[in-house]
Amino acid sequence: MGRYVIRRLLQAIPVLVGTTFLLFATVYALPGDPIAALGGDRRLDPQLVSRMREQFHLNDPLLVQYWYYLRDIVSGDFGTTFRGVPVSSLFQGKFQVTFQLSVTALVFEAVIGVGLGLWAALRRGRWQDQAVLAVTLLLVSIPTLVSGFVLQLVLGVKLKQNTGIDFFPVAGIQNGMRSYLVPGLVLAGLSIAYLTRLTRTSLMETLRADYIRTAVAKGMSRRRVLGRHALRNSLIPLITYLGADLGTLMGGAIITETIFNLPGIGQQLFQSVYLRENAVVVGIVTVLVLVYILANLIVDLLYAVLDPRIRYE
Amino acid sequence: MRVTRGVKITAGAALLALAVAACGGGGGSDNSGSGSAAQPVRIEIAEPQNDLIPGNTGETSGAEVLNALFIGLVDYDDQKKPVNRIAESIDSTDQTTWTIKLKDGYTWHDGTPVTAQNFVDSWNYTAFGPNQQQSNYFFSVFKGYDAMNPQDPDGEEGPKKAPEPTATTLSGLKAVDDKTISVELTHPYSGFPTMLGYTAFYPLPKAAFESEGKMKADYGSNPIGDGPFKMSKPYKRGTDQTVEMARFDGFKEGKAKVDALQYKIYTDLNTAYNDLRAGNLDIMDQLPPEQIGGAKAEFGDRYIEQPSSGIGWLGFNIKSGDTYAKSRELRTAISMSIDRATITDKVFSGTRVPADDNISPVVAGYRKGACGEACTFDPAKAKSLWESNGGKGVKSIDLSYNADGAHKEWMEAVANNIRTNLQVEVNVKPYEKFADILNDLGDGKVKGAFRMAWIMDYPSPENYLRPIFGTGGSSNYVQYSNKEFDELLNKGDSAASLDEGVQFYQQADDLALKEMAYVPIYFYTTNGAFSANVKNVKIDPFERIDVFHVERA
Repeated sequence: MGRYVIRRLLQAIPVLVGTTFLLFATVYALPGDPIAALGGDRRLDPQLVSRMREQFHLNDPLLVQYWYYLRDIVSGDFGTTFRGVPVSSLFQGKFQVTFQLSVTALVFEAVIGVGLGLWAALRRGRWQDQAVLAVTLLLVSIPTLVSGFVLQLVLGVKLKQNTGIDFFPVAGIQNGMRSYLVPGLVLAGLSIAYLTRLTRTSLMETLRADYIRTAVAKGMSRRRVLGRHALRNSLIPLITYLGADLGTLMGGAIITETIFNLPGIGQQLFQSVYLRENAVVVGIVTVLVLVYILANLIVDLLYAVLDPRIRYE
Repeated sequence: MRVTRGVKITAGAALLALAVAACGGGGGSDNSGSGSAAQPVRIEIAEPQNDLIPGNTGETSGAEVLNALFIGLVDYDDQKKPVNRIAESIDSTDQTTWTIKLKDGYTWHDGTPVTAQNFVDSWNYTAFGPNQQQSNYFFSVFKGYDAMNPQDPDGEEGPKKAPEPTATTLSGLKAVDDKTISVELTHPYSGFPTMLGYTAFYPLPKAAFESEGKMKADYGSNPIGDGPFKMSKPYKRGTDQTVEMARFDGFKEGKAKVDALQYKIYTDLNTAYNDLRAGNLDIMDQLPPEQIGGAKAEFGDRYIEQPSSGIGWLGFNIKSGDTYAKSRELRTAISMSIDRATITDKVFSGTRVPADDNISPVVAGYRKGACGEACTFDPAKAKSLWESNGGKGVKSIDLSYNADGAHKEWMEAVANNIRTNLQVEVNVKPYEKFADILNDLGDGKVKGAFRMAWIMDYPSPENYLRPIFGTGGSSNYVQYSNKEFDELLNKGDSAASLDEGVQFYQQADDLALKEMAYVPIYFYTTNGAFSANVKNVKIDPFERIDVFHVERA
């Protein structure tokens, strides 16, 4: 088991080096001059531009720039943005914000998605099942932009204006965990729908298995059949989905973070790609790749917990 | 219908999650919205682009923050005329050599007095090329600027590097004593006192410098200023969502009305606007355009609308462009075919007004209707002017713009106007970023029309003319070059006072308007609103909030 984990982590190293270079090359290939863009609506003095290009090695070929970047990384210097903010300080707190948001969303997904799915599976073919289907279709078809602004307006602004209840903040993270409730729900929307369908299918399939029939035939109570045999076995695809989703949520919460003004990593990544801040983009995505790798590893290890037949040697 | 265990577990987990979420209120702020004394006045900004250093702040959010921390030599009254703040007097006999006397009693937040040397240190720091300060170019009127900013011999693309500066200070700038600054300019310039109210001309304290000409690394995150408010904790750019300030009680001009300010950083105006409506934010000095109608109704007399200093043009490459870009008559015909009133009303929901001059209405020297017939919508006249000057031979017109600002809609509207009224094909060409279009303009690659905008640096008509129409001006992308025009500007500059100079500037403006190289399309307006927690909110022509006079309601 321990050796398996170490082997998996070692495999991550070439993946990381590969991704950083690919990313570096992609951002390098973007058109336009990032330094000239710093002036906004004003044209910067050509002297200033050429000085800054020199400072950030922007006149050098791709491989030379990448070499400088790696050399600095190895000596523990993650570089600065074109606007002079150390990249390492940009990450402070931002990953934490996005992580909290993602975990809130995952909890909503697991609770609502799995709950609805189980209910639909146990009531399959009846009106409850149809109702759940309708709800999931609705969730899939509403874009985050719409659900985000509508919920912000209804729960953040209107509720307070009309009833004085001030439980859901409109934006920002000054209210601790409360700040993440609405954005977490918005972010979870699409995945809730997927998880519901996945749970329903998975459980129905398990319920048709031979060992379930055997368990029922030998007179085991319905509760034990469902809890011990059916549920445990149908969790495997769900865990897989949730694990992969953590990575997606961490990197893809751009719209939600913008609407709710959460200073997270998604927003930062979007701005950095836009400003062609190579050092920041590569830094962020490297961490995201690590999150993916770790999430996948944890999911694989959970398989063994859920299904005794799976062993890692 | 027994509830299965699985469902029970999940339902329990859901309740637990909600309970955990509800009590985890760590670091919660008082959001009662009642404007209690403990609650600062909260103002919306975007993230400042650079550290909070006067010479490196060229955008509105950073300037907004610095405006509370610093005051300069002059400010501007309701007529946009300079009025003295720290300056006792700013005098010159020949408009080239200036003597600035300072008042007593202004101090830095650390208690030391504001002296002439503080201004000299600050200006030298910004003017020194290698310090890479964005407002460096403001100091090009000072004698000795060139020695600090040597030009690259073969341009920025060439292999040769720019030579090293031969001076670290401006030869035309001296602190004669603690209360006197002497300035020598490269040419007579009556608008000099007007320039001095700009952010780039704030002083810097001794405490900002590690040694002669070397700034402390952390000064820009926790600046010691000389204004009515001081930093209450360092601001970490990139991580912090707020900039926190407290009243500075040692301010010579008296105490500000509120004891604390909090600048809240938003990435989306709609989000900020929702916070304002919910009472979690007090002042916004720009509103999302799509919310203007609702804001007027909802905020009533707490809604602010006033002219701002920005102007939007349609420019033409008059030297090396296509036939229609080179012909003054065809350019005028295009201008007359544009329905400015409908565009500003429908596309911009009234956040812009039709432009009728190259100089903004917020500046003394603006004349209503200066552009006259050429900027007035008249499709019939436009068409006859177009056809009598060979317009029928024009295959198509190009309109280039940058898609990273909200320009698509109005450029399409202008294209439709021209298409319909002149019966000519129009192609709209988006560039991904503003910087890209600037590069192409600089290389003369844009052959047709393009959009351009200008926001003033200081309230002088000269600032709307020299950079845009002057020979070699920094934003002269239309390649306009006219000796008479340049001479009129110089006459205005060397006039004995700003008021006497205005007539020359206006004559120059008339030349530029006749040429129609840049066609004025719209003026910007400032749209703001404030919550019921505050009153007496004023916004200046720089779109900065007058925080000194804001009161709690």
